[in-house]
Amino acid sequence: MNKDKLLVEEPCVHEGISDTGPVSQPSPKLLALKSTSLASMACATSACGGGSSSTPPSANSSSVGISNPKPSPSTSDDELKGITELQRQSARAVLHSSLAVDHAILRKIEKIGFEKWLDEKMPVQNDISAEKYFSSNGYDIVDENKFWVRKQYFDYMIWRQLLSGGNSVRKRMALALSEIFVVSVSTIDMLWPAQAVGAYWDLLNQHAFGNFRDLIEAVSLNPAMGVFLDTCGNIKGDPSIGRVADENYARELMQLFTIGLNQLNQDGSLKLHNGQPVETYGNNDVEGLAKVFTGYNLDYSGLEFSTDPVAPYKSFPEPKLVRRPLTADPSRWVREGRGDQHCYEEKRFLGISIPAGTGARESLRIALDTLFAHPNVGPFIGKQLIQRLVTSNPSPSYVHRVAAAFNNNGEGVRGDLRATFKAVVLDPEATSSAGLIDPKFGKLREPMLRFAQWGQSLGAASSSGTWQIRDLSRMGHLNQAPFRAPSVFNFFRPGFSPPRSQIAANGMVAPEFGIVNESSVAGYVDFIWRTIKGDPYWTEDIRADYKFEIDMANDPVKLLDHLDLIFTAGQIRPRTKQLILSAIEDVQIENSDDDESKLRRVQIALMLVMTSNEYIVQK
Amino acid sequence: MLLSRSGEITRRTLLRRTGALSLAGAASSYALGLAGLGELAAESSGEDYKALVCVFLAGGNDHANTLIPIDSYNHAKYSAARGVAESVAIARDKLFPTALNHPDEQTLTDDLSYALAPTMPQLCRHFHEGRMAPLLNVGPLITPLTKQEYEHPNTTSYPRPSKLFSHNDQQSTWQSFEPEGSTIGWGGKIADIAMSSNQNSMFTAIGINGNSVFLNGNNITAFSTSASGPIRMYPVIGNLFGSRKASDALGTLLRQQYGHVIENDYAVANARSVEYSGFVADRLKNAPSAADFGGSSLSKKLSTVAKLISARRDLGTSRQVFFVSMGGFDNHSDLAAKHSGLLGEVDAAVDNFYSALSSLGVADQVTTFTASDFGRTLTSNGNGSDHGWGGHHFILGGAVKGGTFYGTAPHVSTKTNDQVGNGRLLPSTSVDEYASTLALWFGVNPSDLSYIAPNLGNFSNPDLGFMKIPKGTGHLY
Repeated sequence: MNKDKLLVEEPCVHEGISDTGPVSQPSPKLLALKSTSLASMACATSACGGGSSSTPPSANSSSVGISNPKPSPSTSDDELKGITELQRQSARAVLHSSLAVDHAILRKIEKIGFEKWLDEKMPVQNDISAEKYFSSNGYDIVDENKFWVRKQYFDYMIWRQLLSGGNSVRKRMALALSEIFVVSVSTIDMLWPAQAVGAYWDLLNQHAFGNFRDLIEAVSLNPAMGVFLDTCGNIKGDPSIGRVADENYARELMQLFTIGLNQLNQDGSLKLHNGQPVETYGNNDVEGLAKVFTGYNLDYSGLEFSTDPVAPYKSFPEPKLVRRPLTADPSRWVREGRGDQHCYEEKRFLGISIPAGTGARESLRIALDTLFAHPNVGPFIGKQLIQRLVTSNPSPSYVHRVAAAFNNNGEGVRGDLRATFKAVVLDPEATSSAGLIDPKFGKLREPMLRFAQWGQSLGAASSSGTWQIRDLSRMGHLNQAPFRAPSVFNFFRPGFSPPRSQIAANGMVAPEFGIVNESSVAGYVDFIWRTIKGDPYWTEDIRADYKFEIDMANDPVKLLDHLDLIFTAGQIRPRTKQLILSAIEDVQIENSDDDESKLRRVQIALMLVMTSNEYIVQK
Repeated sequence: MLLSRSGEITRRTLLRRTGALSLAGAASSYALGLAGLGELAAESSGEDYKALVCVFLAGGNDHANTLIPIDSYNHAKYSAARGVAESVAIARDKLFPTALNHPDEQTLTDDLSYALAPTMPQLCRHFHEGRMAPLLNVGPLITPLTKQEYEHPNTTSYPRPSKLFSHNDQQSTWQSFEPEGSTIGWGGKIADIAMSSNQNSMFTAIGINGNSVFLNGNNITAFSTSASGPIRMYPVIGNLFGSRKASDALGTLLRQQYGHVIENDYAVANARSVEYSGFVADRLKNAPSAADFGGSSLSKKLSTVAKLISARRDLGTSRQVFFVSMGGFDNHSDLAAKHSGLLGEVDAAVDNFYSALSSLGVADQVTTFTASDFGRTLTSNGNGSDHGWGGHHFILGGAVKGGTFYGTAPHVSTKTNDQVGNGRLLPSTSVDEYASTLALWFGVNPSDLSYIAPNLGNFSNPDLGFMKIPKGTGHLY
């Protein structure tokens, strides 16, 4: 097989669904036509000759299960001259593991190889932390701006992080972790919410390539997480009045952050007993574990307070409050109140018993050690990392290899996230060109990652320096924004399969489809259009000047190859490229000073690349 | 009109009756319901339209502070159970304005009297005006279960829904009778049956601002709009950076399919968006001002539903199922501070919605009902409550037999046999029966109820009685 040819099936192009479209009243046609899912429009491999048809093909979506695609070489070396195979592979690997790729990175990888590039990249700390961002921009002070309540500063901060600068590999991992260890600034109710969730982002970055055991301890004592899942202020039960400890964190710690609901094999498959899944924990375990997380609150010790200039009877502590771990020492709380609120009863869960009389610190240690040691953790966390980074439907053996790396990094250490991350992105299933022609390989690119990639790839800049982008999680915008999931269950579930789809018919999952619908896909098209146009109404502060691209505008093939490479790692099919090329070339460039037309060419090219399904689905 | 699962029967009957293949306008969908299929008593509007609107309270609504004992005996027990010292209980004197005076003939468990939360005066009014019905202690079950059976280790003989107390699984179970991973909801199944009554069947099931398993059926694919209506792809409609060619290229590449499974499904979503969102958006342009009310986030979503209902003839629909949800109900903490505000939002929103429907002349034809992941514990954890099971819900509409309670009132206790610890209610009415009652009103043929709710046969009340079910459909049980 000639590796330079990207093998594709004969494409089918359907112009529309004119015969099954909705009717205006009064109109005599369409008696009782069922709502044919447009899955029916998908063509079986050899059935379609392309072009529009007057009758919709078979309505049975399950008939389009694609198991043996017939690859037909429809590219020529000439069309691909702009992109080398090495560039494709390198860019692909970078886009699995980072936020964006550029030519400088590709040249580096050409010299030292991808793994070495990763090894050099991973240990690097970010250029600016959330804490630094807030303090250096004056957002940590108490004044009439009410920075202590306004959440929009979190959005500013996070887009500063994701659109520009720093260690994009570390950030990609931190963002992936934020979709497992979910905290949402949208629903959180606390003082300094932006700073608090910012501190949580810093925590995820700090531990991104450290050890999982350290990560879950830091997460458990983080103020934002503490408020989000109620560890903060959780007090011991009192049987005499029927009060019990708050179970929120204990439940989600098990269900979402460590072991999941069912016993797993190391390859991620369910362990079955008499054909049925085996639950990992029951309500008793939740109640027992909940006792561990009692007696914690925010640490107010030694904090400076400032008076609210608008309401001088009120004063607020400095944001350091939300940047250091919760404490079980009542002398450090805002009010010592009734003292120690930790539960000293015996705590029983998951087959272990923490003896009566054990205090908070030791109870926490035992609880986290127990959860960390559970064999579920490797496959449970490992599979989700594969889904965030590379592909929605990894093979069991891929999951097994990643879980193995989690279980032992090669030097006898369990829980090494650096080793786990490398196992995900360096695995042959991730890097093999077989994935590029496998109709089931890959994942839908998350909307927030598409926007981050735009910013990083095109050198977006903030006029104000503070990156004033507001909450983009509305359906008319990106329908997703970092740390703005609707709940601790993230934007979508790892096992989601869209109903009546080819994905479902092929027995696949596609988590990101949880937020895909008729309105959100339109919202994205409108959003990216306005972004590229340069007049988005959710920010007046962010611009890209496209200079690099404008300089190529005279050579549409070169321009398109460039965008194809850095956005999709060269995965756009020749037929789509041809379509885009015609649209670019349709814009005439009058003379060498015709910057306006050059810009239009770049905008058209960029828009069509970023809305092509080859871009939307990362492979 | 009786809806039959087998669309074939409906069409054959139609052909016999009308002798024509074509439908032309809303009048003919009324014609579908004539003669012998079990027609409705003539509605005053002269039109056979019905809609079900599910308002899902995400997070697990604290039922104990929603419908609160107001008689002194039970209120004292409620206060004590919720922790007297740092109480999340609502004081009795706050409850008098929203007390629900149920009929003298009705006696509830332990002679309970209830009040709504103080922030729900509109639902209180609707109750007394006979159009709001509370359904007590409803929750997912496989089969009726006693406490002893629940505690029995033999879960094969005494099955119960799996993953109780887990948010995502119980949201899924309420909507589809199965935990997370299920793909077909009972709203979608009702829509499956209803779709052949609609000229434009693609608008049978409509979700506002997000996807839900509730609306997915075996045949129907739900249509989605944002909270303020469908979103259109402007660069496809107009020029793209001044170029018609670029705009055409965009329209093409969004929808083309090459054989990659994930790409293909995304292309389908794009195609549906281009075709359907524009159609719907155009028809909502002239929505009457009565349907356009503002308010909270939930209220605005219901306004979008009202507009869609007002455009029903233009949309070509006569049977629809809608789904909206509202978050924030997982009150492990700050129950006292937050919950009353949330309930106030629900109260105002559904009242706005009812008023709009009334102005549109369809108050009797739209039934709004609540649902939630679960109820919560009766006990508190100091300032909130934890995940429960059974809970209380409300049904509102002109066709509701309101002003009286349905289901069985639970004891106010952490020790009785209708709770499974900490006052988590063991449901005495199943979601299956809740769903089937709504489906019967909607027009689903009784013989098709087990399609909607497969375990319905395990329960005794496929018609809980809270709807005025039209003549001719018959009560077969």
